[in-house]
Amino acid sequence: MSEDKGKINRRDFLKGAATGVLGGAVLGMGLFSYGPWSKTYFPEVKRKLVDIGTCKSVKVTNLSETSWFENSVLMGDIKGAGGLLVNQYSYNWPPFGDGTGLGKGSYEKGIAKIKHLLPHAIDEAWAVTEGLSVNPNNAGGFACLIEVEELSGNKRKFLLDSGWSYKWMDECFKREGIDEMLRNREIEALIISHEHFDHFWGVPVTYKYDPTITTYIPEGFYPEGLQYIKDSGHQGKVITIKPGLNPLIPGLSTYVFAVPIICRVYGEQAIFANVKDHGLVSITGCCHFGIIQFSETAFREIKYEKDQLYGIYGGLHISPFEDWDPKYDDLVLSLGKYDFQKIGCNHCTGLLCAKKFVDAGYPIVRGTAQYRSRETVYLGNGDRIGFGIEV
Amino acid sequence: MERFGMGYLEERKLVQRWPQPFPAIVSLVLTIAVFYLTWWIFQDPRGWLRMYTPYVGYMYTRWWLIMLIWMVYIFNYWPFKRTWLEKTHPIVKGAVLTAISVLILYGLIKGFFEGLLGNFGIAYFNPERLMKLPRMTEFFALEYASLACLMFAAIASWLSPAWVVACEEVPWQNMDQPGKGISILVVTFFLSVLVFFMTMHSHMGILYYPWQYFTAITPPYWEKFANTVSGNFHVAWIMCCTVVVWIVETIWERFPFKLIKTNWLRRITAFFGIIVLAWAMFFFLYFAQELTWGQAIRGTRLINAPDWRWLHVGEMAVFFLVPAIFITFYCGNWPRRFSLPVNVLIRTVIAIAAAILLYIVYYKTSHDFLGTQKGFMHEAQFPMIPLIWLINIWLVHHWFMDNWPAWKMVPKTAAEISLDHDAEKAKINEIRWTKALGWGLGVGTVCGVAVYFITLSILPWVYKSITIIK
Repeated sequence: MSEDKGKINRRDFLKGAATGVLGGAVLGMGLFSYGPWSKTYFPEVKRKLVDIGTCKSVKVTNLSETSWFENSVLMGDIKGAGGLLVNQYSYNWPPFGDGTGLGKGSYEKGIAKIKHLLPHAIDEAWAVTEGLSVNPNNAGGFACLIEVEELSGNKRKFLLDSGWSYKWMDECFKREGIDEMLRNREIEALIISHEHFDHFWGVPVTYKYDPTITTYIPEGFYPEGLQYIKDSGHQGKVITIKPGLNPLIPGLSTYVFAVPIICRVYGEQAIFANVKDHGLVSITGCCHFGIIQFSETAFREIKYEKDQLYGIYGGLHISPFEDWDPKYDDLVLSLGKYDFQKIGCNHCTGLLCAKKFVDAGYPIVRGTAQYRSRETVYLGNGDRIGFGIEV
Repeated sequence: MERFGMGYLEERKLVQRWPQPFPAIVSLVLTIAVFYLTWWIFQDPRGWLRMYTPYVGYMYTRWWLIMLIWMVYIFNYWPFKRTWLEKTHPIVKGAVLTAISVLILYGLIKGFFEGLLGNFGIAYFNPERLMKLPRMTEFFALEYASLACLMFAAIASWLSPAWVVACEEVPWQNMDQPGKGISILVVTFFLSVLVFFMTMHSHMGILYYPWQYFTAITPPYWEKFANTVSGNFHVAWIMCCTVVVWIVETIWERFPFKLIKTNWLRRITAFFGIIVLAWAMFFFLYFAQELTWGQAIRGTRLINAPDWRWLHVGEMAVFFLVPAIFITFYCGNWPRRFSLPVNVLIRTVIAIAAAILLYIVYYKTSHDFLGTQKGFMHEAQFPMIPLIWLINIWLVHHWFMDNWPAWKMVPKTAAEISLDHDAEKAKINEIRWTKALGWGLGVGTVCGVAVYFITLSILPWVYKSITIIK
């Protein structure tokens, strides 16, 4: 009798206990997880304050920010090929066109048509690919020249990205004298921000004038991208940068983020410059990781002048296709508290976003809308911006 | 009187052709093969139709799920007669019913959303209307319209089954089909419209420049609480509601709500109890991300952005649904030998463990296997699409094809049905208030709270110990 009673009690106890475990866990999840007490679980941010040195000034020349000329044409191609996640090398865009049509190409078939012409006969290579590719005339590119003045007054030059269309980029390089600078070995290195078509596929144009230039790429390049550097006739060093900080010269450092990017690309590299008596300047190709993430990373990792986030140059990847999403408004609404003094945005920031920045009262540097840049709301092709120096 | 499929799922006996685990393994292999083939045909960015743009494929996947729920849970297979359901070969049944679900799906998207709502009510449901906006491209017009339909689907996929599972079809439970189905459809659709306007409309309103102050509430009321103006905040808790409805229906066997004897109280408690459980899950999954990836920072992109974190809450929740459905459909809701609460607890623990494993496997393999973006954080990386696609295939297999070929469907006899009802009553009556149950409940609650805090402590360590993305 007593044994029976004990058995029943144990079974009842287990029923209650099983229900209680579920209920208790749900109670904790519901009451604690988003309450004010949950904040006690977050450690205070410890700043590393890595010293990357300082430079006197930085000047950026926008060689080209018009990565493509007609947004509707580009998006039509993306739609036709299957959307934002399709491998960029399969689009049949130049220079990898093989004549089979949209979304049916490959790196191997495309490069086979022009490899023998790279890097010295890029005009001929482009003429070949124009006949085989989808919408070749829509290709533009992103690239800029960064001139760093050291505290001693010595000036050093770097190229950020090499654009897309050989024809357009060669025209831009010649317009700004980049061809001569490369020939004279005045430019120390080519820094590739990421593997996207509009930043990287024009790399033979740089190698045409200096095939030995040291090239920095972020970790995450796909095999096609690595092979393209070789197939473009590059003879210099290729340095793959792992995620994190990579100081280049006093006051200038790159930083690599391991981020996934549309069209099957992974990893992006951007630049920090610490300008004496002014603060930190961010120079980005596309900034897929977000400018606020870049700023927060700087705050945690780097020691910079006056603890001031001073300037921005480049694409901020907010509405590259003139699209919009409420999360972009989160950025527009939040950027003000970072107190940037000079914002030279363009390219994938999007015209709409630049307008919203202007509406919010941010210090946007306007452009001249020349050389096929569309509006003056942001820095266009051929425009310059200085940090610690007037241009 | 013709009953169509009313009670069909309860009154069919699925007889295993071989002892377990072979039927479960065969079904898993078969459905994964169908999943992969259909994924390549319809969704894969490297495949044929490439609907994973991502929103177009996402929208059709979500609405297809709702079509299946409507056909089976709300319309009880109407207009198909009971004899047809019982005597037709599963392949024929599967093909016919799937084809009909796709036809209704297409009609709903093109006819109702794009044609009717998009032309005579709200422009953002119709891509052609959106194309009239300055600088709008065809691609984003289609994506925006798909997003609006998708957000509606998120709500409908919670409310449609909730009316059956929680509210037990009241007040139309005794009505014949199609009257019952139409009534439930109308009321759940009406509620979905209300919830849509109060949770998603503001999100759509601020997609345009300038913000549509005069037609949508902007900035939205949740901005400060959620730390974002994005409607992903709502997508997250609504997804958790959908997942909890199905967990309650499958591995929880409607426990603990079915212990409440009073009908109206049970139904109301179940409906709102599901929401309470979902919000607990919702807050916890957000907090779990903060513990592993650090606090969200408003204005950032990708993994640290609050809107991404909220969306990821919904994505994470779906990982729990997959094993829960598998346990019920293919493992006979194992285990069944203990008391109901103990069975429920064991199944829940198994589902959580399997969900974590699935999460790791998904992110390790989806880039190569499914053609999605590498890594966790891209805005177009939606694990919900393949997971719901797989769930849809399981629903077709279980509801339309009686788990063929590893199982054979045999209608239960009246005696068997009566025995089932008695067993169900006994299962519920077995749980009565006793002193021992009270003690167990108290000790269990303390243990549950302890499990929660232990989980919080080890989560960051566990995450650091496992390399998911190289």
